[in-house]
Amino acid sequence: MTAPKIKIQELDSVVIRFAGDSGDGMQLTGTQFTNTAAIVGNDISTLPDYPAEIRAPAGTLAGVSGFQVQLSEHDIWTPGDAPHVLIAMNPAALKVSLPDLDVAATIIVNTDAFSKSNLKKAGYASNPLKDGSLDKYTVYKMPITSLNRTAVKEVESLSSKGVDRSQNFFALGLVYWLYDRPLENTLAWIKTKFAKRPEVAEANILALQAGYFYGDTTRAFQTRYRIRAASLPPGTYRKVSGNEAIALGLVTAAQKADKLLFYGAYPITPASDILHTLAPLRNYNVITFQAEDEIAAMGATVGAAFGGVMAVTGTSGPGLALKSEALNLAVMLELPLVIVNVQRGGPSTGLPTKVEQSDLLQAMFGRNGESPIPILAPATPADGFEIAIEAYRLAVRAMSPVMILSDGYLGNSAEPWRIPDPDSIPPIIIEHPTAANSDDGSFLPYKRDPITLGRPWALPGTPGLEHRMGGLEKSPEKGNVSYAPEDHQRMTDDRAAKVARLADVIPEQTVFGPKQGELLVIGWGSTYGAIHAAVARAQTKGQSVAQAHLRYINPFPRNLGFLLQRYRHILVAEMNMGQLSLLLRGRYLRDLATLHKVKGRPFKISEISHKIDEILAGAAS
Amino acid sequence: MSTLEPLHLSRRDFVSDQTIRWCPGCGDYAIISQVQKVLPDLGIPKENIVFISGIGCSSRFPYYMDTYGIHSIHGRAPTLATGLKIANPELSVWVITGDGDALSIGGNHIIHTCRRNVDLNIILFNNRIYGLTKGQYSPTSPQGIRTKSSPMGSLERPLNPISLALASEATFIARTVDIITKHMGDTFLKAARHKGISFVEVFQNCVIFNNGAWQPYSDRQLRSDNDIFLENGKPMIFGQNDDKGILWGKSGLEVVELGDQYSEDDLVVHDTSSVTQAWMLSRLTYPMPIGIILDVQCPSYEQAAWAQVQEAKMQKGEGTLAKLFHAADTWQIQPHDGDRPASQMTVHSRLPSNLDEAYMDDLLNDLNESELEERLGDMDIAALKPHAPILVADSARVDHAVQLMQKHNIGCLLVTSADGHLSGILTENDVTNRILGHDVDTHASTVAEYMTVDPVALGLDTPVIESLHLISTYGFRHLPVVDEHGLPLGILSVRDIIHFLATVL
Ligand code: SF4
Repeated sequence: MTAPKIKIQELDSVVIRFAGDSGDGMQLTGTQFTNTAAIVGNDISTLPDYPAEIRAPAGTLAGVSGFQVQLSEHDIWTPGDAPHVLIAMNPAALKVSLPDLDVAATIIVNTDAFSKSNLKKAGYASNPLKDGSLDKYTVYKMPITSLNRTAVKEVESLSSKGVDRSQNFFALGLVYWLYDRPLENTLAWIKTKFAKRPEVAEANILALQAGYFYGDTTRAFQTRYRIRAASLPPGTYRKVSGNEAIALGLVTAAQKADKLLFYGAYPITPASDILHTLAPLRNYNVITFQAEDEIAAMGATVGAAFGGVMAVTGTSGPGLALKSEALNLAVMLELPLVIVNVQRGGPSTGLPTKVEQSDLLQAMFGRNGESPIPILAPATPADGFEIAIEAYRLAVRAMSPVMILSDGYLGNSAEPWRIPDPDSIPPIIIEHPTAANSDDGSFLPYKRDPITLGRPWALPGTPGLEHRMGGLEKSPEKGNVSYAPEDHQRMTDDRAAKVARLADVIPEQTVFGPKQGELLVIGWGSTYGAIHAAVARAQTKGQSVAQAHLRYINPFPRNLGFLLQRYRHILVAEMNMGQLSLLLRGRYLRDLATLHKVKGRPFKISEISHKIDEILAGAAS
Repeated sequence: MSTLEPLHLSRRDFVSDQTIRWCPGCGDYAIISQVQKVLPDLGIPKENIVFISGIGCSSRFPYYMDTYGIHSIHGRAPTLATGLKIANPELSVWVITGDGDALSIGGNHIIHTCRRNVDLNIILFNNRIYGLTKGQYSPTSPQGIRTKSSPMGSLERPLNPISLALASEATFIARTVDIITKHMGDTFLKAARHKGISFVEVFQNCVIFNNGAWQPYSDRQLRSDNDIFLENGKPMIFGQNDDKGILWGKSGLEVVELGDQYSEDDLVVHDTSSVTQAWMLSRLTYPMPIGIILDVQCPSYEQAAWAQVQEAKMQKGEGTLAKLFHAADTWQIQPHDGDRPASQMTVHSRLPSNLDEAYMDDLLNDLNESELEERLGDMDIAALKPHAPILVADSARVDHAVQLMQKHNIGCLLVTSADGHLSGILTENDVTNRILGHDVDTHASTVAEYMTVDPVALGLDTPVIESLHLISTYGFRHLPVVDEHGLPLGILSVRDIIHFLATVL
């Protein structure tokens, strides 16, 4: 009998999810698979899904850790709507992932983990591998744990736990075989990362190879798949998550501004990774300060800005609420700083680990008095890098706090980032005054630059420029306390105008698709990928649909009003109940269709596609 | 900063052009004038001096000083001051605050700023009332005080600022009185010269809303009997005629009359380096301790933070952007040439931080295991002195075996074959799981039918670490010990091993 010949099928993209217990190392497995895909030239987009509880009991639904990756031969913008392939290391992982799967998905399960007690922990009354409930999928049942134990049994000095810890590499080897991926990179990776633990390295290598050979020799699969390389621009790449990209951007801005970076923060999900990324960078002239609360983090950031360093704080919605008081002081003192809000579901404590874009109005208006600040939002994880630099550039120009609105999805998901040449990034030029700025030889702390309307940033330690400022309203130029009616009006106008004037220097809004037509879909922040894919789909169907994704929300790009007139319909899609649409309506008096979602999950491409079709169909009838 | 030229600053150099707007007679005047008077003595150029205040009457202070300054928001001055001091450790940063500002709305910040030992000078204007909001009770107001917001008397017990500063680990703590100007000026000078946090409580009189609140301690006639002016290294004497003193009594500090019974030699000598003494002093109200209560040294926060920057640079080299961008696994995409671009990944040696926590914990726990291995070194089983085993022949009846277990109160029997070699092990678990309730005729069946055959056994020379490995890998609860011929010598339970580990680790 000859073994059946294995087919190789070419795919243009695939979505794979690795899911297991949080002790199974699924993040590592997914990361390795992604790296290898990236190296062979696929475009990638990933979404880790950590358990919400820190130490959820093993085997339970709460303890499931998943990692989803989409690879493609063309540009992709999201980690994919529905996984085509699921690797489930235990019943809970299967149960949690099933509702998301593509209708024709392939499931690889570790049958060893389908014990009575694990089924019970996952809430299965009967074994799904036996009761026919998975019939519509292609299911591969493999005793991964025992296969792996056999594979690594010769490694000495490894505990039984240590042995089983390598089974994720067995699964990875299997998937490498299935997707015709080379092992070399992961082998090299294991050797480097576990150099200090040779027995762990050895076990992982054996497991990886065993998984691969198992696929090769047992012929359990009839088909292998191949995804051809995408044509990414040449260069050196790495992966970055949104939180990392922002952290890297902040350090870059500080170096380009020739300043120490001060990052004052209080731990909060999902923003803490920015703090964690910056804390080890002391040798890059970074000082992180973990404050006693959100208020102190903001206050210290204002104090640091006064002292002349690049001052930044980061938080999430509930933290921003606490920061609003000291942030407003920075508005009044007119000091440059950056505040990063990695949004999560609200109100109150809300959904700490889930994504939402519902802090836009809080960012715009969540302070007492007339208190405008510039607001920027990265569109993709890697975009956080440029947005962070841009934020500081605008902050020092307008002498104002600038808010970056990221979110939990951007913060945690990763994409390839082409590493820029540091020299290609222009410097941020800041001039601190050293001499008086008035005819009578006195220093006027609120004497504005005629073009930017920014005030001079005189630093303590500069002789002759001693000045006092405060949260009380003040007179123009001199900055002395003043409640005079004309002074308050003038200062309020100036504070608004200097923010509005940033529109002169921020880029015009670009559009993807026709410059005029039937429908313009507007979004901001992390919805970029889903909207882009949906709009691209519509365009291939011949529909007249364009996308405008706002990275600058306050002020809006100067051509936005014009753009809104070029399309018959406007759709604003956002993960809130209509906050950007409120701003756009108010500002441009333009009627808009809206698409809202607050389910703690990003938009699916299909959800936006439906809405596009609906609007265009309505327009036709 | 012009440190080379001698500074010729005077009080006038620190007076700003703003008109002071405190009520006539307010204690704040004396305080600002003492601050302005002693600043020139510090030898710090005035551009390096910053006053940061919160909200309240006293918090107008920075406007009246011709230095850098921020009149910030309620209770938050310590946070701004901390950020500023970290940003520029060269500056002399002063926090001006009041009892409401520091102890009520800003309580949390005071605690943590003290604890961090940031090199700031905090001056707490304590007037036991809310002045700016026109007379509500404050966190230091005495219980029962009748104010606009407490017409029937305040229900709250007052906070003791000195005790709070001590509990918050402040390194310089002092108390002074607004109208004892010389003492106040000296105290400010010492506070400013202290490296690290300085916390100075000033008894300040609010003439409008709480006039005379400190009168017993400030009035020229009364204060020498009610206050004790502390001096480091000097015995604690007070009273108009220096006729009273403080000694260590049975339950703390006690006030005594000097004379026949007690002399100066019996008294406590003030020691500003003693936290215990400082704590006792902080609880004392008669006499009221005035002066420096605690003055100890420890590295200041901003110094340590900058030292870390230097240390990191020494260890890792000055960070460049190119280095930063490549501090991760990187790969090349070559210009596209058909099917698969040649590409290679450069692996960074650090494990990525975003792995599953449970998985990482396991990895690290394993590390601890190997640490244990090192400690145990080449100790072997003989060191554990295994108990003598209770033996039973494999041909013995099961009921006999169960009786043996009961009699010796043990959970495990070693089973021997006819020639005396270890042939099996019978445990409580075997009895409960396989025999009891399984309709087994214990009189008719033999141990051989229910024992675990050929158990894993240790020799006296087996390393202890291996027994741990067996326990953790297979979950064994008991391990037999045999000699080189396979004859049973002893038995070890998990508990024995744990007890042993407890003695060596
Ligand atoms: S109200 Fe009291 S504390 Fe305030 S300025 Fe007047 S006297 Fe001074």
